[in-house]
Amino acid sequence: MQQLFNTLGCATLSSSRLLTGRYIATAECSEHLVVEADASVELILHNIEGELRIDLERGAKLRLVRLTIQSDCNSMLRVTLNDSAECYATDVLLSASAVGLDIKLEGQHSHVDVGGVFLVSGEERASVTADVAHRTEDTTSRIKYKGVASGLSRGEFSGLVYVAPGAQHTDSEQLSRNVAIGKARINTKPQLEIYADDVRCSHGATVGQLDEQAVLYMRQRGLSLEMAQRLQIEGFVSDVVLHSAIEECRDELVEVLNEKLQTL
Amino acid sequence: MLKVENLHASVGDKEILRGINLEVKAGEVHAIMGPNGSGKSTLASVLAGNEKFTVTEGKVEYMGEDLLTLPIEERSRKGLFLGFQYPVEIPGVTMANFMKLAVNEHRKAKGLAPLTAAEYLRLMREKSAIVELDSKLTARSVNEGFSGGEKKKNEIFQMAMLEPKLAILDETDSGLDIDALRIVATGVTRLKREDNATVVITHYQRLLDYIVPDYVHVLYKGRIIYSGDKSLALKLEKEGYDWLINDYKEE
Repeated sequence: MQQLFNTLGCATLSSSRLLTGRYIATAECSEHLVVEADASVELILHNIEGELRIDLERGAKLRLVRLTIQSDCNSMLRVTLNDSAECYATDVLLSASAVGLDIKLEGQHSHVDVGGVFLVSGEERASVTADVAHRTEDTTSRIKYKGVASGLSRGEFSGLVYVAPGAQHTDSEQLSRNVAIGKARINTKPQLEIYADDVRCSHGATVGQLDEQAVLYMRQRGLSLEMAQRLQIEGFVSDVVLHSAIEECRDELVEVLNEKLQTL
Repeated sequence: MLKVENLHASVGDKEILRGINLEVKAGEVHAIMGPNGSGKSTLASVLAGNEKFTVTEGKVEYMGEDLLTLPIEERSRKGLFLGFQYPVEIPGVTMANFMKLAVNEHRKAKGLAPLTAAEYLRLMREKSAIVELDSKLTARSVNEGFSGGEKKKNEIFQMAMLEPKLAILDETDSGLDIDALRIVATGVTRLKREDNATVVITHYQRLLDYIVPDYVHVLYKGRIIYSGDKSLALKLEKEGYDWLINDYKEE
């Protein structure tokens, strides 16, 4: 993965005001960045730690990939969106770490779309928080996280959608879908706090097991039990990385995801 | 090829198969018919190796081996194919990807190298033509959003890909309109060879207009109570099962 980021020909984060372009960040990364009005920025965060604040000025567009493979890489990402700003994020967590996302939709017609996945195995513990605050009228959010835990691992998802008083015409979807294999456990806690009356908010959360019928079907075609289970999980989570917010990251994300799947 | 002797099988405390005897030789087509709940699908599942069922008595020899000791995937790799009555949907897993793994597992079991991407694509094109399967379906998730007819065609497509020695088709005709039925049956007939065999489980005679069986067996309450040639199927279609069941009760 490191290889990919180095070959993309992008700058590492340095200035705090970002113009159109692609930037990467690794390791410790506690900064306050501003994406300039109408700029279009791609940001790749690789095993970052610390708290990163990003403000999107009017009409700014941010495409973001956060990949956390190393253990104990705890990071919090706080993104504030002004009028007509858009944020598309892919959040991939494959280790015993805690990652957070805190989104504030401050400007009208701002939009955020997050696809996330976490996979834990062995005795790993991982947690994801994804909070979205709709603070003004006419904002939209789409948050979808998928979690898989195997072995004796534990996964935790907590997501809050907050709709402020007066934030009419908020349109929000939040989804947490999880598969816990064997003795592994996943807790999911989706929450809604709504203080406006003309809104459309949906949320859903599931924690399920592998589909035994599907495993049986695949074994009847000659796949081993392990292959069938892995393929099913791959099918469950792969859409998140296939729709990576930054297309060039897709193949590498698929690869690290597959590597992790081998350990389940 | 397949020799079933006094096979008893249960699910939980309930005995469903109560002494099945059946012999299938290479080149033959057998049809197993019978009223609902007679154990037809259970027989298919037990032969395929579904662990939900427990074999309590009897033995099954397949290609000279004790079939019942083999796990389900081993049976598949040794050429036993089950066409499911209700093919399972697997979201996010494409047909092409799934079948590639399956074909290569079968090849590995035979000591063959995996197919190259080009070889695999050619194989898929060739085999999907046999059942007139829209090639776009292979790019979609397994059975997800497939119509009833497409699901059944997809079963026969997979059968064509894996070239089984013994294919057991469990109610492959159920829920098919006449066009889909013709396509599925033609596919099965085209895959028939001197060295393979087919067991067709069906509720209706109409499938047997297309797939002509050498033997027809009637399963009732977990036993084969009558066997005959293809004329038996026609007689069952006209007269139902009652005459057989009454005979059986009088015995």
